[in-house]
Amino acid sequence: MRYVATLHVRVRSEVRDPQGEAVGAALRSLGFDVTAVRTGKEIVVTFDSTDEAAAADAVRTMGTELLANPVIEDYEYELKELARA
Amino acid sequence: MTRVALLRYPGTWSERDFAHAFSLVPGIETEILWHEDADLRGFDAAIVPGGFSYGDYLRAGAIARISPATKALRRFADDGKPVLGSCNGFQILCEAGLLPGALLRNAGLEYRCDWIHIRAENDRTPWTAGLGGAVLRMPIGHGEGCFVADQDTLAALEENGQVVFRYTDAKGAATLEANPNGSLMNIAGVSNEAGNVVGLMPHPERCVEALLGGTDGYRVLANLSPSLAGAAPAIYR
Repeated sequence: MRYVATLHVRVRSEVRDPQGEAVGAALRSLGFDVTAVRTGKEIVVTFDSTDEAAAADAVRTMGTELLANPVIEDYEYELKELARA
Repeated sequence: MTRVALLRYPGTWSERDFAHAFSLVPGIETEILWHEDADLRGFDAAIVPGGFSYGDYLRAGAIARISPATKALRRFADDGKPVLGSCNGFQILCEAGLLPGALLRNAGLEYRCDWIHIRAENDRTPWTAGLGGAVLRMPIGHGEGCFVADQDTLAALEENGQVVFRYTDAKGAATLEANPNGSLMNIAGVSNEAGNVVGLMPHPERCVEALLGGTDGYRVLANLSPSLAGAAPAIYR
């Protein structure tokens, strides 16, 4: 089965996000009443796995082993089976 | 002869500077090892030089973490051998879990390319013997050098003496102004619990002769040979 996992990786809320702060300042200079900005990244992985449970296991391993650094980041993911053509 | 391995990942750029720096230290010979076939057997120490390994993609040091060289490095470090990571090498060691904490984008949002001062806080590592309390002047060049760790880790680092270098002014005071990147507690370098693995953001290899504007890096690198021999550190000339 082919799956598509979308991982959302964010710097943990207690860790400072200088990139978000800079974007916030820029939005304020555009005249928006912005109080906070947090940045993150979206990683979309297409991969093959035997079934949904194994695919979910694989995504969690990808997240903790490489895609997010557990010291500073958290991640969430969505997993979909790709419809066969 | 003390044999020092210099690890080269795709995007590493400071390995030849380290080779030159160590060529000035009597009793040390170096070899540059490509990350895919790095075999650390027969080496006495290993360096993870700076650069932009894997283009800093994902996070600085993140992809180098799963390279074969890093696996070899982990075994080497577990054996108690001296390991030093500078700049991107520090980031790689943190990502690999060989050092605690992580390095984030600089608080001031600038890439900092400057000469700064650091104070050696701990003289029990193979790289800082005889340097306890010494204020060293070294260059930095990084965009992601803001050291962070959770409160418990930070407290443990301080308690165990794992903070090896701190950003200070020229007189050795760890002030807010002397901190170039927002690192917690002005931390510029840390060690693992055993003390044999050390990482720092500054570049000791770039200040080893007067022509380069400073020689304090020599004081760190020259420590290696006598440390391994169990002798007193060489007096810096």
